[in-house]
Amino acid sequence: MMKTLMIKTHEVWLEMLMAGFMSHTESKQALIDFSDILFRHFTWLEEEVIKAKEPYSYDRDMIAIRVDTLGVLLQDIIHRLDAIELQLLSLKNRALAQRMESDFHYMKEQLRHMEDERVFAFNMKREYPKIVLNDEARDALTLFLFEETYKEYELILIYNYLKAHSSDGYMNRIYQVLIDESFFHLKQFGQMSAKMGILAVPRIVMRELYEIEDMVTFLKEGIDEELAAKEECIKLAEAVGTQSPELKRFFDFINAQENYHIALMHDALKHYEEKHSESK
Amino acid sequence: MTVDTQLVEHMMNPKNYGTLEASDTQGIGKNPENGEKVVVYMRIGEEEESPYVADIRFQAIGCATTVVAGSMLTEEAKGLNFKGIAHLIEATMQLLERVPEEDAACSEMVALAIQAAIDTYMKRKEEPDYPVITYKVARSCVPKEQGES
Repeated sequence: MMKTLMIKTHEVWLEMLMAGFMSHTESKQALIDFSDILFRHFTWLEEEVIKAKEPYSYDRDMIAIRVDTLGVLLQDIIHRLDAIELQLLSLKNRALAQRMESDFHYMKEQLRHMEDERVFAFNMKREYPKIVLNDEARDALTLFLFEETYKEYELILIYNYLKAHSSDGYMNRIYQVLIDESFFHLKQFGQMSAKMGILAVPRIVMRELYEIEDMVTFLKEGIDEELAAKEECIKLAEAVGTQSPELKRFFDFINAQENYHIALMHDALKHYEEKHSESK
Repeated sequence: MTVDTQLVEHMMNPKNYGTLEASDTQGIGKNPENGEKVVVYMRIGEEEESPYVADIRFQAIGCATTVVAGSMLTEEAKGLNFKGIAHLIEATMQLLERVPEEDAACSEMVALAIQAAIDTYMKRKEEPDYPVITYKVARSCVPKEQGES
């Protein structure tokens, strides 16, 4: 039961986040903030599942988000919250159930009063507002957004899983920073995808990616991936740079942020190796 | 990769992505060079003693090209009998001869995963506990300027 609750919360978290990306009114920030709250619910439910020693994964159903008007999606989110609320009745941790119910009541009330708006996030025009991109730059940006939106979601789940299963305070601080950073990137890329008319829910992450067997290899490969991501940012900044100094500045900024992620992962690797050589 | 509307559609909404809870067989296509892989899950139906792909799903650790190839090929494979699957794989492999190697490796991985699922199914007819078959790609996914000569 708790596992189902966790999966359903995972789905509604993503649906709320996508709704935030689609919105172009003042509802946007509220929807994104609500999705952050739902993510926290998801992590608390995961803690309960772990405490109960139930096996679990981050598998979930596909989420249909293609709508012409945001109201349709908001209505679906309300239905999902109602369904979760019913399941909360049998959650043993009453404090958690009440906390979630209280959040749901406020969210549903707010969602019901949000103004409906037309959705342009799926029109596939691949045009960036106020920026003219040539074919090469448009294709490069399209592929980058698909790859990286998924990648950031994948990283959030990987670091979240590692954090949920670790009692090492030093590592958990690093995991949390990396989760926060990936959230920032996911939100940026998701909103850019919506502006381009190519918004999509990131695909389901395969279990073996977060059930890490060899931490040292994972961190070393992660550093290599971050270095590759830097290269992609440089290439993209070059591809879009001639047409848009604004986009170039953005991708240079993302590229510079990767340095910080790499430094954090080096810290994590050093700490992990030291700790495990001491315990041998 | 040239990006057109059909490609964007497959990226936004990949067909048959995920797992099949009660699958009859699975197969894996793998790129040992970079750890990318595709897992195909199939439910097999029997019609006049001719087995066919009643349902199919796939999951991938890989790039957008792999997901697009998985979406397209699994959609083609759905409903085909095993002879049809053999034709589909053969046609795919021939087509890949004309595609840049780094793009071809992704599609090859999907085709091999489909083949592996069929072969696992056949093996399990004789030996029910036969492990899931994995095939490795022959092509390189590393773009030429980064690869070793």
